[in-house]
Amino acid sequence: MKRYRLFIVPAVGLLAVLVGFLVFNLRDNLVYYRVPSEIVDNPAAVDAGRFRLGGQVVPGTIVDGGDEVRFEVTDGIATVAVAHRGAPQQLFREGIGVVVEGTWDGSIFSSDSMIIKHDEQYRTEDGGIYTPDSRYP
Amino acid sequence: MIGYLGVVGIALALASAIALAVDGFRVFVRGGAGAGRLRIPVRGLLLGAVVAMGALELALLTDDFSLRYVAENHTRSTPLLFTIAAAWAALEGSIVLWGLVLAGYATWIRRSVTEGDRIGAAALAVVGIVGVFFFGLMLTAANPFTTLSPVPLDGSGANPLLQNHILMAIHPPMLYLGFVGMTVPFAFAIAALVAGDGSTAWLERTRRWTLVAWTFLTLGVLLGGWWSYEVLGWGGYWAWDPVENASFLPWLTATAFVHSAVVQRRRGMLQAWNVALVIGTFALTILGTFLTRSGVVASVHSFTQSAVGPALLGFLLVVLVAGFGLFAFRGHLVASTPRLDSLASREGVFLLNNLLLALFAFVVLIGTLYPMVLEAFTGDRVSVGAPWFDRAAIPITLVLLFAVGLGPITPYRRARAIVVWERLRGPLQATAVASAVVAVLGVRSITVLTAFAFAALIVSVIVRQAHATARSRPEPYGRAVAGLYRSDPGYWGGMVSHVGVALVAVAIAFSGSFDSRDTITLEPGESADFDGYTLTYVAPFLSEQGHRTVIGATVELSRGGSDLGRLRPALTQYPNQVQAIPTPSVHTGLREDVYLSLVRIEEGSARVTIDAYRFPLMWLLWLGGVVVVGGGALSFVGRRARRRTEVVAETAGV
Repeated sequence: MKRYRLFIVPAVGLLAVLVGFLVFNLRDNLVYYRVPSEIVDNPAAVDAGRFRLGGQVVPGTIVDGGDEVRFEVTDGIATVAVAHRGAPQQLFREGIGVVVEGTWDGSIFSSDSMIIKHDEQYRTEDGGIYTPDSRYP
Repeated sequence: MIGYLGVVGIALALASAIALAVDGFRVFVRGGAGAGRLRIPVRGLLLGAVVAMGALELALLTDDFSLRYVAENHTRSTPLLFTIAAAWAALEGSIVLWGLVLAGYATWIRRSVTEGDRIGAAALAVVGIVGVFFFGLMLTAANPFTTLSPVPLDGSGANPLLQNHILMAIHPPMLYLGFVGMTVPFAFAIAALVAGDGSTAWLERTRRWTLVAWTFLTLGVLLGGWWSYEVLGWGGYWAWDPVENASFLPWLTATAFVHSAVVQRRRGMLQAWNVALVIGTFALTILGTFLTRSGVVASVHSFTQSAVGPALLGFLLVVLVAGFGLFAFRGHLVASTPRLDSLASREGVFLLNNLLLALFAFVVLIGTLYPMVLEAFTGDRVSVGAPWFDRAAIPITLVLLFAVGLGPITPYRRARAIVVWERLRGPLQATAVASAVVAVLGVRSITVLTAFAFAALIVSVIVRQAHATARSRPEPYGRAVAGLYRSDPGYWGGMVSHVGVALVAVAIAFSGSFDSRDTITLEPGESADFDGYTLTYVAPFLSEQGHRTVIGATVELSRGGSDLGRLRPALTQYPNQVQAIPTPSVHTGLREDVYLSLVRIEEGSARVTIDAYRFPLMWLLWLGGVVVVGGGALSFVGRRARRRTEVVAETAGV
């Protein structure tokens, strides 16, 4: 029994160092997920670098400009203008939920990646907070 | 009507599980007297589970939309296969399948429990307790037989992602056979702890079950990756998604256990470690179920939020507290006495393998749980990027591969350098030649070259061991080679798995490092270049396939003037569902896969946008995976031919 106890202190110490190291490292690799009301009038969001923005496409705001699509997304409280580079997916249309990834300069969100998030069926219970999971539409 | 039958089945199973837990414990206290009587509750458990599953299938097959589960996961137009698979396509049904698999394992354990077997009785009691939880869940929070009123004329059908591919019918049962199978070694480990039995009997007994569970778990993970590649269309097979990690975590610790169990059986060491690993593995299967089933992670696996999440979390806490509490207080009773002679030994390599696998699991666990913990405390919703996982996984995996290569030629107890060198010389030469060839062929990445070299070492070491062992046998060389497997199925099955691991490692290194992607927009009739291939957009197509509508683009693939056939990436739309499901189209070649995923087809102009990917050596990944699973199967189906073949084990092992 004694020789096991001998191992416990260094093992716990090593584990703590490992957790610290891993979590410290994690911070640079996190992709934050936000909704329009969290970034409008929030200067910190401008400096936050890349993050994901989720919301519904506001009807009547889609402007197709060749290489770029412009539209607005809303979470029901605030609205943000988005400029997305690249072709939007097949299901992209007015009123649909999207998650775009990119940067925010205080007036426009520049995105280069878009995920379509649809439908009521798999929406979370708290009413349309879209989660950051990237692959499952 | 069918609903009542199902509820009766669940109630019978629950009552039997309670009886099994109580009776099992009573038999244990009496030193195993009356163990034969446990047959009755085990039969009740199996009968109840079969009736519940049968009722659910019957309700699905007869379009009984009075049951909420059927109405939500089935339509009249669903094809037969997916109707049957709908029984595990959603939360409630998947718990029923879990219960059925558990009852099956209980029946199998019971067959080995004879009069006077107190450890076996205690293990059955533990299985009973697990059964009480799951069948209790079916009667309360996850009842698949709740009714609807008024009865709808038709149902809405399962999540379209789950109806799109035959794999969805196979992947969950395989994974469950693996997950639930881990209950068996867990039950025996807890039994050994409670009894304070320091012998290796529980390990010997659970060896086959552990290997069966490990093999199915591996197959389940493999099929999950394949499905992700073939169906999801995001261009890959693994993204360190919490749902994937949920199945990978118990796989890592189970793999560690399969190896450390060998050390315990052969050398009587690492007993307490094994018990801890098994408890940890079981806890991780429950954690995985919690992550995927409770809605904390939004994905195709999380259905609707319900009380199932808190219940699973509570059960996980019970498992952790009871399991590790018991271990803390009684672990010394099962701890082993023999000490490690030297770190430079087979035991030392096994230890390294175990520490690395445990470290790997720990890193993945932190990366998986961190976003949830952060959200719980700060409300920030984040995801951990795949590069973070890659950065940790690559070095750990490389050292692991090296250990896999070194293990089979390192003698037990104490490895003298001269012996190891003598055995390693040939394989090292082969490895050097193979790596040089690959480098000359143009592979310059250090990581990929290292992975390839270690993989080559693994394979050449195994070939050398097989050759040396066969040569030392009295019979003719050819017959000796053919008889190797029969002489020690466990060992050679494991070696086959190692070869599979080497293939998978090479495939992951190549496909991950030399892939490319591009987004291509084409008008009908137009062509575009993609990494040496020519894609020609022939025409769009639209087809009504009974229960679904498919739109897509026919694309001709050619390389250097030679036609490679037509690819048809598509989007599938199901009735009653807003979602459309991307269906990628893959051309598999010896060198690489060309993978096309449809982004959009514009109405009117029919202009198409396609995500094109190139993944080298993908076939090797699937082949390697199948070899790993096959090796696992070989190690438990075969029985040792004769006891007299210890000589072989000597050359192979010491």
